[in-house]
Amino acid sequence: MSLDINRKKVTKNAYRVTKRRNMTAIRVRVPGGHLDAEHLKTVAEIAQKFGDGNVHITIRQGFEIPNIPFEKMNEVNAALKPLLETLQCANGVVIENLDNGYPGAGMRNISACIGNRVCPFGNVDTSALAAKLEGQLFPNDFHVKIAVTGCPNDCIKAHMQDFGIIAICEPQFDYDSCIGCEACANTCRRKVTGAITMRNGKAVRDVRRCIGCGECVLACPTSAWTRNQTKFFRLVIMGRTGKKNPRLAVPFLNWVTEDVVMKVIKNTIPYIDKHILRCLAKEHIGYIVDRTGYDTFRREVLDGIELNSEAKVAKTLQWPGYDTVNDANMKSYNQRKV
Amino acid sequence: MQSFDFNYQQFAEVFARLGKKFRLFGPKRVPGRGRFSDTDLITYADLQNPEDLETAEKSYLSPKSIVFPPDETTFYFTADQFTEPELSDNRETIVFLRPCDINGIERLDRIFLENGKVKDPYYQRRREKLHFFMIECRESFENCFCVAMNANRTDNFATAIRFAPEKVSVMIQNESFLEAFAEVGKKSDFVPEFVKKDSKAVNLPDVEDMPADIFSDSLWDEYDSRCIACGRCNTSCVTCSCFSTVDIFYPDSRNCGERRRVWDGCHLDGFTDMAGGHSFRKDKGDRMRFKTFHKIYDFRKRFSEDMCVGCGRCDDVCPEYISFSSCINKLSDRLSGGKKDEE
Amino acid sequence: MKNNPYRPVAARILKITRETAIEFTLRVEAQADITPGQFFQVSLPRTGEAPISVSSFTRDWIEFTIRAVGKLTNVLHQLKEGDTIFIRGPYGTGFPLEKYKDRNLIIVAGGSGLAPVRPLIQKALDGSIGVKSLRLIAGFKNSEGILFSHQFEDWADKCDFTLTIDKPEPGWTGNTGMVTEHIRKLSDIDFADTEVVVVGPGVMMKFSTAEFVLLGVAEEKIWVSFERLMSCGIGKCGHCKIDYTYVCLDGPVLNYTHASTLID
Repeated sequence: MSLDINRKKVTKNAYRVTKRRNMTAIRVRVPGGHLDAEHLKTVAEIAQKFGDGNVHITIRQGFEIPNIPFEKMNEVNAALKPLLETLQCANGVVIENLDNGYPGAGMRNISACIGNRVCPFGNVDTSALAAKLEGQLFPNDFHVKIAVTGCPNDCIKAHMQDFGIIAICEPQFDYDSCIGCEACANTCRRKVTGAITMRNGKAVRDVRRCIGCGECVLACPTSAWTRNQTKFFRLVIMGRTGKKNPRLAVPFLNWVTEDVVMKVIKNTIPYIDKHILRCLAKEHIGYIVDRTGYDTFRREVLDGIELNSEAKVAKTLQWPGYDTVNDANMKSYNQRKV
Repeated sequence: MQSFDFNYQQFAEVFARLGKKFRLFGPKRVPGRGRFSDTDLITYADLQNPEDLETAEKSYLSPKSIVFPPDETTFYFTADQFTEPELSDNRETIVFLRPCDINGIERLDRIFLENGKVKDPYYQRRREKLHFFMIECRESFENCFCVAMNANRTDNFATAIRFAPEKVSVMIQNESFLEAFAEVGKKSDFVPEFVKKDSKAVNLPDVEDMPADIFSDSLWDEYDSRCIACGRCNTSCVTCSCFSTVDIFYPDSRNCGERRRVWDGCHLDGFTDMAGGHSFRKDKGDRMRFKTFHKIYDFRKRFSEDMCVGCGRCDDVCPEYISFSSCINKLSDRLSGGKKDEE
Repeated sequence: MKNNPYRPVAARILKITRETAIEFTLRVEAQADITPGQFFQVSLPRTGEAPISVSSFTRDWIEFTIRAVGKLTNVLHQLKEGDTIFIRGPYGTGFPLEKYKDRNLIIVAGGSGLAPVRPLIQKALDGSIGVKSLRLIAGFKNSEGILFSHQFEDWADKCDFTLTIDKPEPGWTGNTGMVTEHIRKLSDIDFADTEVVVVGPGVMMKFSTAEFVLLGVAEEKIWVSFERLMSCGIGKCGHCKIDYTYVCLDGPVLNYTHASTLID
């Protein structure tokens, strides 16, 4: 019997057309890249029972289980139920029928570094924030890549995302506890931006240079530096790989609260909906921003949001990157002439 | 000596009553101010409520700041006039602390009040105000070795307090506190107990004089690369008493400024720097040796007791997982001729 | 605060003597009961405080010979006569003068180590210690570093004085070679009846004292003076502690039997 499936529906269900005729692969979403090890058994079972026993770990921290016959999709979807319950529904995702698998695949898995559950540098619980975002944004058909990183080291590569959420902290200084050991100034100068200098035997923080990494807090032997209990974020946007114009994300918002980050990303959905070119299969948001211009993007995504008092917003945006069509610089090396 | 039992509400009443007359200082949990995000800092601080008092966990920093603040102004300068600052809080102070820390403050007394026969007036005026309210400690915390250091016991306290799950028991030694407690409490036969066994066995070196070759023993070499000279072992230590004097200027004034003393420590860079550039103990291993000997050997030669009280905070706070108690054991092993080839 | 040991007193600069390009002597108006070898904590408000040994004193004034190599000393270097500095002291244990009475005294000084022994030299020469004889060996790295040269004539008249610089220099007609070479040349000395003082940089003291031990001088007859960072001068700050010894209290002058056991 020849296979007759609606490819678009299949794709929306997180399956894909693969090289092998009649065979598909399912992408399992793991928001924040963090899961109970028990769920690995489910992944393993699906791979062993319906696939060929292999699992691919994706760059976005999901699992891609390949070589599943399309005809097994219903069974696979049923097997996915415990994952959907824990990783999506428990985080607030509303799924009408849990037996039907993933209700969308446009919005990619929201990845996160290991965050402060483990990492000393982490300024927030990144996995928890990723899960929260999953709850608010999924399912969604627009192609948007989001990642959360716990500090400006950016181990999750937030700079390669449409929305890179970088957790930062505001170091607060207890003057009386500082003994002038210079550990903070030294570490900031050596590892960061040199935002801390010493004056009269005390550390002085240049707020304009401070990137909120928290290294000074880690370095201080007297706890003179501690973290503001309000958590702040830098939102870098529209970084991407891709065939046309790979580029790094750049800061759009700085020193904003989690609430602002959430609202801005949610506001992006109607922005995309309004401006996306429907003639393309799935226009990525970065190209939409290229077309509408930054001003329109900023106005629409900040619409109705009250920014916290510390927040800073970029005046203009320019992305470091290159156009792949620009080959003027590329020359044959072996037959080069002087 | 009399003892009383209280429920926590009654204890809060006594606490409030004492707070009207005394400055109250003790171990306090400060949410979210720990070194890592979403961790708490347990430090010594002024207490407003009995709930501020953290009795379940060991503090990261010691109570020494009450007598030896991290940064203390010794003089204000106006042109060539030197003025000593008044204390910002002149009240008598109740300090809630454990037996090891009471012993620790007595070690500070050796330096600030006895060494050199001149009393340090800045220390003395703070020290005279203290009343020790001993938090009973019956079980060792992680890294504690107060029993080995003979600092698990003390009778130098005004009151001793047991914080049990349902009640608070207080034994009063200083009669002047009797009234505050007796009015609210129920008489009991509470007598404080002390830690009897360390969580980790620590063997002190059994030598009168350190042989010269132990100063250059390979035992210290590993610390050259392990220690990062962050100074946490010094700042967290209740008995580390070293300081540096710094003069500061008010940037917008031609002739005003301050002379201050701030904590310094033998593990920190610059501790032995002399004008002209010469310094001693550049290697971290030498600093470890210097500290170790001070804490468990040469202080004893001067004051007939060891400086270290075995609170184990240096082990708690070391970001490089250097264990001071292990170092003592390694030293003892070397001195007794054993484990020469151990890493 | 009564009797605050940290409170310094103002001392007016009476005279400034430029000794070398970076060394100078401040004579300040002050009275104190000083033993040669002791030091003061010298300070300028808003700049800082540092231990400086007494390089000469009378009943009316005290001299400090200072090398401009740090924050405070660089500022002190800029001062003029009539300016005020602040001092507290004297601190530490000086030379045990009573032990030198009726003895031959040999003083070996290296570089700026001559400053703390200068009061000892003066007391030995003016008869107030009652030494039998004084031999003085002063060594400097080069001729530009020589301190107190205006006194050399007087010293040479009154005692057996050897001045040496480490290496020959054009125009230098005097002695050359390390002080240790000149110690080695010492003869016709009754070492049983002699006390030895060695003050200078650490390496110089180490090798010079070793020479004397080789010559047969009993260790308890050798005296050295240590220089360490100090913040208080009164046994509190901990910077100068070596083993159980506080250089500011038990020193800076230490007997060799004591000093030789100290490992920083």
